[in-house]
Amino acid sequence: MEAGSATARGHMGWRLWALVPVLLLALAVGVVVTSGSALVDLVGTNPPPADEFDIRRVEFSPAEIRITVRNPQPDDLTIANVNVDDAIVPFTVDGPTTLGRLRSSTIVVPYDWVPDDPITVGVTSSTGIQTVKEIPAATETPVPSVSGFFGYAVIGALVGILPVALGLLWLPALRQASGAWLSAFMALTAGLLAFLGVSALAEAFELQAALPSALGGTGLVLLGVALSFLGMTALAGRLSGGSAATGLALALLVAIGIGLHNLGEGLAIGASFALGELQLGTFLIVGFMIHNVTEGLGIATPLAKTRVTILTLVGLALVAGAPTILGAWIGGYASSDVLGALFFAIAAGAAFQVVVEVGRYVARNAPGGLRSGYAIGGFLAGLTAMYLTGILAG
Amino acid sequence: MGKLALDAQADTGGHDHSNHSHTRVPASHVQGAIGHAAMVGDEAPAVGGPNDLDALLYPPLALPYEPGRVREYTLTATDVELEVAPGVFFPAWVYNGTAPGPVIRATEGDTLRVRFVNAGQHPHTIHFHGIHPTKMDGVFEIVDVGGEFTYEFEARPAGFHLYHCHATPLKKHIQKGLYGAFIIDPEEPRSAAKELVMVMNGFDTDGDGENNFYTVNGRSFYYARYPIRVKRSELVRVYLANLTELDLINSFHLHADFFRYQPTGTGESWEYTDTVMQCQGQRGVLEIQFAGTGLHMFHAHQSEFAELGWMGFFEVVD
Repeated sequence: MEAGSATARGHMGWRLWALVPVLLLALAVGVVVTSGSALVDLVGTNPPPADEFDIRRVEFSPAEIRITVRNPQPDDLTIANVNVDDAIVPFTVDGPTTLGRLRSSTIVVPYDWVPDDPITVGVTSSTGIQTVKEIPAATETPVPSVSGFFGYAVIGALVGILPVALGLLWLPALRQASGAWLSAFMALTAGLLAFLGVSALAEAFELQAALPSALGGTGLVLLGVALSFLGMTALAGRLSGGSAATGLALALLVAIGIGLHNLGEGLAIGASFALGELQLGTFLIVGFMIHNVTEGLGIATPLAKTRVTILTLVGLALVAGAPTILGAWIGGYASSDVLGALFFAIAAGAAFQVVVEVGRYVARNAPGGLRSGYAIGGFLAGLTAMYLTGILAG
Repeated sequence: MGKLALDAQADTGGHDHSNHSHTRVPASHVQGAIGHAAMVGDEAPAVGGPNDLDALLYPPLALPYEPGRVREYTLTATDVELEVAPGVFFPAWVYNGTAPGPVIRATEGDTLRVRFVNAGQHPHTIHFHGIHPTKMDGVFEIVDVGGEFTYEFEARPAGFHLYHCHATPLKKHIQKGLYGAFIIDPEEPRSAAKELVMVMNGFDTDGDGENNFYTVNGRSFYYARYPIRVKRSELVRVYLANLTELDLINSFHLHADFFRYQPTGTGESWEYTDTVMQCQGQRGVLEIQFAGTGLHMFHAHQSEFAELGWMGFFEVVD
């Protein structure tokens, strides 16, 4: 008993001692904060703040423009004047006029804008600094509506679910293929997932770079990648009971990886369309369809040696394809660059994890392992197929 | 602004004052009124109260010719934050607290003695337009921070002139607000009139080389919010000068009437028009005899300048 309580006290002591650096840090922070500018004065004077707004969103409705601005700097920023096409306009502010760090407000401007014409909005701070945003073509911002929701769902199904489902129909053919060729197709799956992972990562970095430095940063992307990679690793372990994933478990992992990517893809399509930056034409939809049909092949290949029901296949197609619809909804009606960067990072992490899983499978099952011509050729064929079909969707 | 609303009503033929009086709703807030031709009264975004710019708008009275008279002025240069549009502050350099500076007026033949005190943070001068000895030209005697200099010369020729800082970099010193109007009345006085001074200028508040606001006498949309009240029966004389930096020209356009224009306020050549154009540093005298009552708009005929603050109204009453 004596020894036990001594150990407990020891544990408590360890925790108390751990607090010491934290308390000292708090003290040091307090001293620096209360010293005001004295510290900076030793080395010189600070440049004035940029006083530029971050114009996050410009929405157009009949006879009205709504401009959402954020204060990206540490100092307060006051909305003093609003211009549209280089003319001062009357406005009201929905939210505070003086914005604290990272706070947002929406400026409402009654304005008879001309559809399809380029338009420039400018927001001037009390220090006279004007932040300008150019909109290439003014178009009415979609508002949530039944037909809009349905439209995004149909588009999402066309570019997400349909091609994956069609790709799954390669399953009967795959069942006839030899083991070596199956390994080649698995390597191809790894290739296409690697391609999706890299493109998602690039997208995530691009989005975070456009964010105010306080919210962006590569850390945000790394966090998303790590989160999904580790999450997928845990999921893979659970699905396959600790051993390397095969059959349906592997197919499900591939489907999840592709699904997370398609969530980002849907988000990008929805957001770009809502912001008037994307012409959602037949060509683009067809391009995405062709691009995504290879994804179905990737899900079908691990199932070549497994008995599955039609219902399972439908489920896999939905896991991989349906997130496109969800993404399009989010992007179309509630786009946020922070969310976008995070989603793409999550997609990248998941894709890379599935590449690892598939790689393990190929290493074990391909005659000659990862060094075989089937594995190398398949992987490169996967990358090439995605690159070439990607030109259509680009 | 109730008074203004009533006059606007009268103009459109409506004499039913009971319905609309004293509750002016900005046109932008009225359903279907978007695209209103102009902001006027309360909805015009201008700084300050009704008579804030009177000292700049109404020049000192002209004195009759008197040989040997000395006119003395003191101008002090300071650095100030000018509110040029509601809530927008411009770090300006000014003579006597405003941009443009005070109106300097003398009669031809007067001796002008202008004491200049530099209480700003940079070296400055005053360069007067007109005929004077070169050592009084405000170019060679740079007045250092804390220093002072007295310019003394005979006021001539009669006309409408300017003064501005001539320290380098010249563009910066003018753009910052160091300029003003300078009237020299002729020996033979001009006819009696309601006299106004309008100095056209601009403010590049974010330093990108383009003006963000355009004004007359220093505040954007000021005379749209507070129209200049004149009587139909009187002659209105406007001393108009262009001290806009960064843009080559500025202009003045009067609505619903015409005026006579005398370039530089000198000579016998008058133009009858409703629009005049002035290069940087150009100026002239306008004489208007309003034919009708009501709100007469005036603005730069460069639409961009007009929509960035250079727009106002004469409210002509009987």
